[in-house]
Amino acid sequence: MAYVIASPKLGTVGNVFEPVDGINVEALIAGGFIKSTIKPTKSDKPSKDTNEE
Amino acid sequence: MATSTYLSNPTITINSVDLTDQCNSAVLTRVIEALESTSFGKTARVYVGGLENSTLTVSLMNSFAATETYSTLSALVGTATTVTLKPTSAATSATNPISTLTGCYLETLPIVNGQLGALDVIDLVFTGGVYSVATS
Repeated sequence: MAYVIASPKLGTVGNVFEPVDGINVEALIAGGFIKSTIKPTKSDKPSKDTNEE
Repeated sequence: MATSTYLSNPTITINSVDLTDQCNSAVLTRVIEALESTSFGKTARVYVGGLENSTLTVSLMNSFAATETYSTLSALVGTATTVTLKPTSAATSATNPISTLTGCYLETLPIVNGQLGALDVIDLVFTGGVYSVATS
């Protein structure tokens, strides 16, 4: 999972944030300090079963 | 005898967030629990070192503004995090080492400490974790 810095309290805004050991990433996201760079993807539509007997 | 003094002006991060501008007191104490090993025949108590249980006590001026004190700490209470403390804001070096407590626990978080005519200042204690120090 990749994150970007969203607050100058953490570093340069827009830079990639790489959490070191022991950092509570969920708390940083909840506080608005970092954002995930991965956008949620739409799930594929279920494929139609074309096998007709 | 020569002395070396410096103006106390530490920098502090909590969970990687720089809260130096909200902090006015920080005390990092390294603690190794004492286990008594006094045996029969001894005339004084003796101890051996047990588990490490260091603490960082900080006083922070409270702020509910975005990405300030409260938003840094609200999701940390009851969890483990990493804190760092450096004697001065100068670059990390042998004469300005940075101390780190990795995996220390925040048990309590005062939400409001209100007094008429006074700033809202909260005291926090981070307990445990692995202590390390770096000079570069």
